[in-house]
Amino acid sequence: MIAPAAKPQTVYVADDSTAIAAGANRVAAELSRLPNVRVVRTSSRGAFFLEPMVEVDTPQGRAAYLNVQPREVPGLFRKKPVPLARIPFLAKQTRYTFARFGENEPLDLAGYGFRAWQKAREMSPQQILAEIKRANLRGRGGAAFPAGIKWQTTADTPTEPKYIVANADEGDPGTYADRMILEGEPYRLLEGMMIAARAVGARQGYIYIRSEYPAAIQKMRAAIAQAREFGVLSESQFDVDVVVGAGAYICGEETALLESIEGKRGMVRYKPPFPAVEGLWGKPTVINNVITLATVPDIILRGADWHLSLGTETSKGTMPLQLAGQIRQPGLVEVPFGLTLEEVIYDFGGGLPRGCRFKAVQVGGPLGALFPARLLNTRICFDALAKAGGILGHGGIVVYDDQTDMVQLAHHFMEFTANESCGKCTPCRIGSTRASELLQAVLDGDAVPEDIALLRELGDTMKNGSLCGLGAMAPAPVLTALEYFPNDFGRRL
Amino acid sequence: MVTTLDAVLTRCRSSPPNILATLQQVQAAFGFVPLEHVPRIAAHLGVTDADVRGVISFYHDLRTSPPGRHIIRYCLGDSCRAKHTERALTALTRRLRCDFGETTTDGRFTLTKVYCLGHCALSPTMMIGEETYAQLTPRSVITALQNHP
Ligand SMILES: Cc1cc2nc3c(=O)[nH]c(=O)nc-3n(C[C@H](O)[C@H](O)[C@H](O)COP(=O)(O)O)c2cc1C
Ligand code: SF4
Ligand code: FES
Repeated sequence: MIAPAAKPQTVYVADDSTAIAAGANRVAAELSRLPNVRVVRTSSRGAFFLEPMVEVDTPQGRAAYLNVQPREVPGLFRKKPVPLARIPFLAKQTRYTFARFGENEPLDLAGYGFRAWQKAREMSPQQILAEIKRANLRGRGGAAFPAGIKWQTTADTPTEPKYIVANADEGDPGTYADRMILEGEPYRLLEGMMIAARAVGARQGYIYIRSEYPAAIQKMRAAIAQAREFGVLSESQFDVDVVVGAGAYICGEETALLESIEGKRGMVRYKPPFPAVEGLWGKPTVINNVITLATVPDIILRGADWHLSLGTETSKGTMPLQLAGQIRQPGLVEVPFGLTLEEVIYDFGGGLPRGCRFKAVQVGGPLGALFPARLLNTRICFDALAKAGGILGHGGIVVYDDQTDMVQLAHHFMEFTANESCGKCTPCRIGSTRASELLQAVLDGDAVPEDIALLRELGDTMKNGSLCGLGAMAPAPVLTALEYFPNDFGRRL
Repeated sequence: MVTTLDAVLTRCRSSPPNILATLQQVQAAFGFVPLEHVPRIAAHLGVTDADVRGVISFYHDLRTSPPGRHIIRYCLGDSCRAKHTERALTALTRRLRCDFGETTTDGRFTLTKVYCLGHCALSPTMMIGEETYAQLTPRSVITALQNHP
C-alpha cells in the first residue's frame, strides 16, 4: 500500500555511479511511483556512507533521509529528515569546487551559468595568466607544479596550434574526485578548459578519461554535446573531445598520456622538452589534472586573493580529499590545506569501523608513503607531507586496519608497479620485478636478512635512477612499510 | 566478418593514423582484436604489424581472444585491499573456477583485474558489464552473478 506524501514534493536523489552502486537508482524508481512526488537527479555530495540519500527542501534548507532502502520509500515521508546542517561530515567542510554537489543537475547547462567564463571573456589572456599565477594554483594531479607557470610557457611558445589536455585518468586507487566532477559538474571542467584555452591561445582540447569510468565518459560527452549545441564552445572559439583510455596506469603520467592520445604505446617521454613547449603531436600543450582545471573558475570569479586566503604558506586553496579503506565515514572532504591527518581521519572520517584498529594510512595513492599512528599529526599540504617522506598526490587517503599484513601489502604495491611499468628504463622495469620477487620470498619464508638490505638498495636505485615518478616513487610504500612496521617483516626471516 | 572489419576501418580514418583508437573500435565490434586482422589493420593505417601488435600488448583492456558473455572487472586497488577484498575474491574464483585473465568453461564470465573503479568509498567493488557492485562480501559476490545469466 502506497502512502501518499502529504503535499506535492520535490525530492533529490544523486545520479552518481557510487551512489547508484549503493542503490540510488532503485530508490529513485520507487520514489517516482509515489503520487505527487517529483524526483530530481543531482550530483552527489560525496557523503557516500549515507547514500542513497533522499533530500527534500525545508524552510531551513535541505534535509535528507539517509541510507534509504527501496522498501522504506512508501513510508518515507512519515519520518523526519535530518537537516544537512546537522551532519558534521558535510557541515564542517569548506566547499568551493564541490559547492554545488548534491544540488545541481549535472547536465543543466543554464543552471551552471558559465559566469567565470563570462568574466574571463572580458579579460585579456595576459590578465588571466597573471591571476592564475598570483593565485599560486598548484597542480592537483600529483606533481604540485604551479599551473600559471605552465600556462605562461605555452602562451609564450610561438608554435601553432596549441592544445589543452585535461588529465582525467585518475589512476591512483583510492581516489575519485575527478570522477565526481566528470559525472557531477562536467561544465565546471569545460569552463576551466575554456579559460585555459583563452589564456594560452588554444583552439582544441582533449579530456583523457580512463575506461574504468563509463558513466563519466557518457556524462562528459553529453555535456560537450550540450555546450556545442548552445554555442558555449563556439563562442569561446574552442572545441573539446573525449579520448578514452585503455587500462594502463602509466597513461596518467603526462607524456605517456600524450603518446596514448596519439594512439601509441603509453611510453614515457624524456623531458625536456616539456609538454608546455612540445606536447601533443609536438605542439605546445597545457596538461592539467581535472581538479586543477575545476578550481580555475572560482579563481577567476572570486579573484586570486580569495585563493591566497585559504590554506598554508605554500599550499593555497582547498583540496578535495578522498577518504577510503577501513574508515567509518568514507567520502569526499573538501577543506583548506593544512589540517592534520588525524583531524581528517577522525573528525571527518569518524575513525575506523567498530572492532577495527588503526595500523597505517597511505596518502597519495600507490606511490605514497605508509604512515603509522604516531605520524598522524602530519599536516595535509604538499610540503609537510614531502618533509615526512610522502606525497599528497591526488589527495587519496586510505586507512588500513591491524589485520593488514604489511609484507603482503608491500608485495601488492611492487607487483602493481611491475604490472604497470612502461618498460622504458631499467631501474623500474627490472627493479620492480626483482623487488616483488624478493617480497614474495619474504612471504614464502624463504628470505634472509640480507634480502631486506638488498630490497632497500634496490629501492634506492629505483628512486634515483628512474625516468619518471612511477619507478622513482614506487619504493616509498615498501620502504616506509619496512621502516614503520619492521615486525611484519622480521617475524618471517 | 571481413566486410565488417572494412566497415570498422572506414570509420577509423584520421591523420595522423591512430592505432589505439582503431583497435578500440575493432574490439567494440568483435569483442576482441582478432590477431589475423593485424596485417589489414596495419595496412589500413599505414603502419607496421609490429606497431599494431605493440599497442595491443601494451594496454590491459585490449584482448586477442574472445571474452565470455560478461566481463567481470574485479578491483584489487588499495582501498579494496584495505577492506580485505581477498575474502570476496576467494569466494568468487572458487565459484567461477577460474583465475584472472580466464574465461569460465561455460563461456559466461571472463574475470579481469583492475586497479580501482573510483568507488573506493564503498570498497570492495567490482563491475559486471556496466553494472557496479559495492561493499562486496563472500555472499553478495555470488548473488551478483545471478543478475547476469
Ligand atoms: C606514474 C604517474 C601517474 C600519474 N597519474 C596521474 C593521473 O592519473 N592523473 C593526473 O592528473 N596526474 C597524474 N600524474 C601526474 C601527471 O604526470 C601530471 O603531473 C599532471 O597531469 C599535471 O597536471 P597538474 O599540474 O594539474 O597536476 C601521474 C604521474 C605519474 C608519474
Ligand atoms: S620509471 Fe617506469 S614507468 Fe617511468 S619511464 Fe621508467 S620504466 Fe617507464
Ligand atoms: S580501490 Fe577499489 S574502487 Fe578504488
